[in-house]
Amino acid sequence: MSYVELTRLSKKYGTFAAVNDVNLAIAKGLLVCLLGPSGCGKTTTLRLIAGFVEPSEGEIRVGGRTISSPGRSEPPERRNMSMIFQSYALWPHMTVFENVAYGLRLRKLPREEIARRVESILDVAKLKPLADRYPGELSGGQQQRVSLARALVVEPETLLLDEPLSNLDANLREEMRFEIRRLHDQYRYTTVYVTHDQSEAMTTADLIVVMNQGRIEQAGSPEDIYKRPRSEFVAKFIGGANVLKGERLPGDAVDVGGVVLRCGSGDFAAQGPTSVAIRHHDINLATTAPALGETNWVPGTVTRQVYLGSHRDYLVTLSNGEAIRTVTPADIAVPQGQPVWLHLPPEHCRALAH
Amino acid sequence: MNVSISLPMPARHGRIDLSRPIFVVLVLALGLLVVLPLFWLAYYSLLDQNGQFTLANFSALVTDPTLRRPFLTALGMALGVGVLSCVIATPLAWLVARSDLPGRTAIRALVTASFVTPPFLGAIAWEILAAPNSGLINVAYRSLLGLEPYEYLVDIYTFEGLVFAIACYTFPYVFTLVVNALERVPSDLEDASSMLGGRLSTTLRRVTIPLVLPAILAGTMIAILQALTMFGSPAILALPAGFHVITTKIWSLFQYPPKPGLAAAAALPLLIVTIMLLWGQARILGRRGYTTLGGKSSDPRIAKLGRWRWLAIAFVVSVLLLTVLLPYAALLKTALTRTVAEPLTWSSFTLHHVNFVFFEFSATKLALRNTFLLGFLTATIGTAIALVIAYLVTRRSVPGSQLLGYLATAPVAIPGIVLGVGLFLSYSNPSLMLYGTLWILLIAFLTIEMPAGYQQLSSAFKSVHPELEEASRILGGTRMTTLRLITAPLLRSNVVATWCFVFIGTIRELSATILLTTAETKLVSVIIYDLNESGDLGAISVLGIMLLVISFAVVIIANRLPVLGGQRLPAAR
Repeated sequence: MSYVELTRLSKKYGTFAAVNDVNLAIAKGLLVCLLGPSGCGKTTTLRLIAGFVEPSEGEIRVGGRTISSPGRSEPPERRNMSMIFQSYALWPHMTVFENVAYGLRLRKLPREEIARRVESILDVAKLKPLADRYPGELSGGQQQRVSLARALVVEPETLLLDEPLSNLDANLREEMRFEIRRLHDQYRYTTVYVTHDQSEAMTTADLIVVMNQGRIEQAGSPEDIYKRPRSEFVAKFIGGANVLKGERLPGDAVDVGGVVLRCGSGDFAAQGPTSVAIRHHDINLATTAPALGETNWVPGTVTRQVYLGSHRDYLVTLSNGEAIRTVTPADIAVPQGQPVWLHLPPEHCRALAH
Repeated sequence: MNVSISLPMPARHGRIDLSRPIFVVLVLALGLLVVLPLFWLAYYSLLDQNGQFTLANFSALVTDPTLRRPFLTALGMALGVGVLSCVIATPLAWLVARSDLPGRTAIRALVTASFVTPPFLGAIAWEILAAPNSGLINVAYRSLLGLEPYEYLVDIYTFEGLVFAIACYTFPYVFTLVVNALERVPSDLEDASSMLGGRLSTTLRRVTIPLVLPAILAGTMIAILQALTMFGSPAILALPAGFHVITTKIWSLFQYPPKPGLAAAAALPLLIVTIMLLWGQARILGRRGYTTLGGKSSDPRIAKLGRWRWLAIAFVVSVLLLTVLLPYAALLKTALTRTVAEPLTWSSFTLHHVNFVFFEFSATKLALRNTFLLGFLTATIGTAIALVIAYLVTRRSVPGSQLLGYLATAPVAIPGIVLGVGLFLSYSNPSLMLYGTLWILLIAFLTIEMPAGYQQLSSAFKSVHPELEEASRILGGTRMTTLRLITAPLLRSNVVATWCFVFIGTIRELSATILLTTAETKLVSVIIYDLNESGDLGAISVLGIMLLVISFAVVIIANRLPVLGGQRLPAAR
């Protein structure tokens, strides 16, 4: 049963729709990632859920109770949520202990109870020795953990994270991803996580919601989103893919500029424009022409070749001018300008109706 | 595992959102403060003595030479002050910001200190120094050369003297702006010029000066504006010299028999010129962007003065001597000797003036009480209102909150004397008789100080990241709780600074005060002015030094007391 529900949710600033008709149902205890490029409306959606922004249309329900609708929104403090901010938002005038204890003090817990709960969460977050420090005296990773501890100590029903790892360096970011997932598995609060980094979404989320221009492009499990993109935007944004524009032919075939490609999966338009998406690493490159009658082979010329250590990255231009990116093992070196043949296996070709 | 919902929700209190009613009340209050005086000003300017509609007041501005001449004199004086301030301040700023002149920090501190000096006090100090007969400079000149008693070297009671005395007070505006601009010019812009073969003087002329030109112009415009709207110094120096500027003329129109309609009509052009100057200044500074863009923020290039060093030192010393050191020394000396002309020695030393001011002169005690009561009230109420406005505007918590920002900034365009006329007309009618009470002065000071207070606090609010407040909201804090526990502690030192600023501004105000004060509501600044009329310079010096000491003391105490925000907080992220 879904716990957090967004129904026909929109937020308009003048004529600009930051969030446009978003429908989403999140089951209890799930970790959901809102993923998309900057300006796609993911942060506004999060702030709508938090109650910092009031919707122009639609509503948000949590546990069956409507908490946001136009003109009638519960203030953030009444929602029993916690949020982790991009800037961490640690109060510089309070120690680590005071920062973490803040939410408990507002809940008027007895002093000993506050101390007990704060100590235990600081223990979990490996912050115990730092309890008396001020945020200005902590490293970025430590600040991040304080911000996590502060959000978790109040045992929220819903946890919101706004690009929480974007200010950390690469190593720490990787570590914190797993940390966030581990804490989620331990406490099972419903979590909404906003990020623009697809690998962050892949490693943490149960459900990925890809957003673009205020709308949901596609929602599904990480595997679903990666293997079965439903639009050109999703195919390109997640993992990178070549998208070839074409026309639907009878059966499972698509004509992309004079070349016929058979597609193993996807949504075919009834007729007319249909694109074909294929991942860079799913394409095979050959220097000799294929046998006659083989399908899904296209000729082209190498226009760029880069050695990347573990593999080589190729840009191949087809006779119709379209450029395709592909990768090969590092020891296959084809010089620039040489004619090549590309095999696009049908099982990896995915037809896209939009 | 299940979600534990064991913790209670935060206690339900402060449920009613007060921001909307507060917003409405503030808009009405500020509207009243700003709009009402201007409305009555416009209204009375269109009435004759019998209350009939007339345009005669305005035509008199053009036809009556006793009204026209003060206008032209004031404009000439203001332009003169602008040019003189610019000529003094720009080289000084360059020397302080960009040369290897010794004692640059001290020079900067001294120039900044002269900001705190009330301009009318500076004028009186120059009266002590350069009055044609009793002026200390002229006395010394005569005794040195053995000249006759009517000979003199300098006369401050002239148009030139007035321009000079005002420029002493206004040049720090230009100086501060230009020093900041010079420090912001990225040195690689100048390095680029040198790399291409530009010598120091070429680089200065072709790169540095053009880059800081907007700051020079903007500073000069502020100096012009200050000179144009100033009452104290012209009243002290121009009236004995037998000429009026516009502010003194408006004041004289309130002397018996009062002509409020004419005064109102004369105040309106001053208002318009002020708005135009501010607009021009905003336009110039609005284009300033290019001084800060581009280049790394490396240390500014320091020029070696070499053989010009002594010339530079002579220039700086004479500027500081004339604008800061001599006036202060003159005040101190006059406070401690029986007559102005006497040299300060052990035998001439006296506490007579101190005794007179604090124990014999009956008006002092009342004026002191009034001044500090009003200073305290204005600073406290003004800071509180500015704080709420800055919060509502920067956090945009109410639709239309920008309106409050505009209302709070508007008084900056109303010269003190114009506001004085407007308030007099607003609150001296029988239905609302505030004239003769401290209330009307409180209203005047609140209006005058609102723009500065609001500007300071709104930039303080902008430096507090909104997420710091949102983090408190989402954890269960209401808006009021958040303000109390998060925002207020983070803003504490800014609030204290604003309070001091308003307090110091209030205790030295004269332009609006002079029209709104009565025998019962005298302030220290007015007493100083009155004593000047009677020529009691010793007493003035004592009072003036006291004002200065209190101003500096307030600043120092506020910066030291940990309770008031002296404590250093770790930098907000």
